[in-house]
Amino acid sequence: MSLPGRHSLLWRLAGALALFCLLLVSLHVDVGRELMDATSYLPESTRQTLKDYGREAENSWREGGAPGVDAYLQQLQAREQVWAVVVGPQKNSLSSQPLSAEQAQRLDFVRRLDFPVGRPGSMPTFYIPFSESDARLVMELPQRLDPRRYNELWELLLQRILPAILAVVVAVLLYRLLIAPLAILRRQAAVLSAGDLSARLGSQVTRRKDELGELARTFDHMAERLEGTVSFQRQLLRDLSHELRTPLARLRVAGESEQDVAALRQRLAREVEQMEKLVGDALELVWLDTERPQLPREEVDVARLWDVLRENAGFETGWPLERMPCDLPAHCLVRGNLNGLAQAFENILRNAIRHSPDDAVVRLAGRLEGGRWLLWIEDQGPGVADSELEAIFRPFTRLSASRPGGDGFGLGLAIAHSMIETQGGRIWAANHEHGLRIYMYLPAA
Amino acid sequence: MMISAPASARILAVEDDPLLASHLQSHLMGCGFDVTLSHDGSEGLQLAESEDFDLILMDILLPGTNGLEALQRLRRQRSVPVLLMSALGDEQNRIAGFSQGADDYLPKPFSLGELSVRIEAILRRVAYERREPHPGNESNGLQFDEGRSDVAFHGNWVGLTPSEYRVLELLWRHRDEALSKPFLYQQALRRAYAQHDRSLDMHVSHIRRKLQAVGNETTRVDTVWGKGYILVQAGA
Repeated sequence: MSLPGRHSLLWRLAGALALFCLLLVSLHVDVGRELMDATSYLPESTRQTLKDYGREAENSWREGGAPGVDAYLQQLQAREQVWAVVVGPQKNSLSSQPLSAEQAQRLDFVRRLDFPVGRPGSMPTFYIPFSESDARLVMELPQRLDPRRYNELWELLLQRILPAILAVVVAVLLYRLLIAPLAILRRQAAVLSAGDLSARLGSQVTRRKDELGELARTFDHMAERLEGTVSFQRQLLRDLSHELRTPLARLRVAGESEQDVAALRQRLAREVEQMEKLVGDALELVWLDTERPQLPREEVDVARLWDVLRENAGFETGWPLERMPCDLPAHCLVRGNLNGLAQAFENILRNAIRHSPDDAVVRLAGRLEGGRWLLWIEDQGPGVADSELEAIFRPFTRLSASRPGGDGFGLGLAIAHSMIETQGGRIWAANHEHGLRIYMYLPAA
Repeated sequence: MMISAPASARILAVEDDPLLASHLQSHLMGCGFDVTLSHDGSEGLQLAESEDFDLILMDILLPGTNGLEALQRLRRQRSVPVLLMSALGDEQNRIAGFSQGADDYLPKPFSLGELSVRIEAILRRVAYERREPHPGNESNGLQFDEGRSDVAFHGNWVGLTPSEYRVLELLWRHRDEALSKPFLYQQALRRAYAQHDRSLDMHVSHIRRKLQAVGNETTRVDTVWGKGYILVQAGA
């Protein structure tokens, strides 16, 4: 399994989860210890209460002796329900009741007020020394004064409720991180499927570098291609119907007014041929654009192909072969589909011838660059404006104003373009000093 | 040496469009063929199986049994040549070998003249296969070697590929006679001719080049516009 990239969502998810775990552990350990520390000593108020008891016990001892202590202890017992005794310096009971052996033993485990309360679960016993004698009040800490009395609640909070709340917070963060862009995606997909082909996700999502950004860019690319294809086909349909009207109009007029049967037949043949070519070319273009066919490739000798094509073109246009020279190095072999390449080159050649002045030359030349051939076909026509260099490869583009002799439908170069790109090549146009050059990259055989 | 098609060849035309069918029939009858017409795939198939035709013209989109299906079923029993016609277009034909089993394929729309050329090419090939003439052995410095599929000029081998050899040999046998592209495809390349197919042109271009390379200036393969190629002997 390969590791995802630096910007992958994995790292963010892992980070969020790690943070969550650290927080949990720190909650458990650090806050637990804080809690323990905070609750292991008697708070000041409790100490004061106990000191008050000590003073009261001292008073009752001073004023009433043993009976006074008896009375006070009874009173204390009633108030706090804890075990309490008042003892002298030799651990002898100062009340009228002597200490039992068990009670005497208990006196060995008493603590001062500023000592920790000890193990949880046990009830500690504190002593409060009298201020004027060595006697002291020894008493169990009353339940209500135990600083640890809320510890169970605290632990419940720390170990159950807070982690749950933390989990919810992390989940909300992750949700915002992951689902919010998906919500935008869903909305735009709905808009797209409702027919608005211009729907895009926008840079808010596409500029993300993670997988969601990738998804968003793929979506935008898909929408782009969809819009391109649909508008291309709409445009094609519009242009095609428009172009068909012209020969149809001529036919209708000829049918109504032409008296000479031979002339009518000639006209009919010419118009039908033109319409056939138009429909054939348009279908070809749609086929290339939508099906993106994988044509079988073979080794093609470009010089021989040029011989074939210029012989054809020369016959049809009356150009002598010398005006269509081939300046290729020997053994110019490319890998491509013969008929596809032939169609592309033929269209380019015919286009060049159409836009050439009298006695001009259309030349094929090229050189090997790395593993591919750079070929170009140049004419000596007027060239095209730099802004139109890309437009000439779009269907039904006719720049007749700047390039005279535009009697084609403007489909030839579009087909050449699709044909070359379908075969893994590249085609573009550039002006050179004497006219237009159509460049092509084709893989060498 | 002219091999003409048997003038009274029997042709079965299976075409559902009545107007096109009647034009086909009258044109082919005008060419001297004996034409039977059928408007339905199943009926056409039945006719083709039960009677002896020299050629079957068949549309692909037909009511009843479609043309490709009919062709497949027919091929199980008979090897009669079949010419498919269809408006499916040129481009599909070039990728899908859907016309497999057919001897030729003609995309609609086509001219009746084109149809005659294709029919003639097929019938001629069949006739040709029935009586294979002897290849011209040596003449004018050219020596044909069937075994190694190559030609020597004054002892120098030209270095033809098998396809190029078959094209040149066919042209040589019929020298001074223009051979149509459909016929050359049928006979030398053994496949159907399509309008955008440049293979034959490339073979001819290579042949010209190779003949020149060995110094043969007298044997020329010329283009006959709108028809095909012809082999001429300059100065012969």
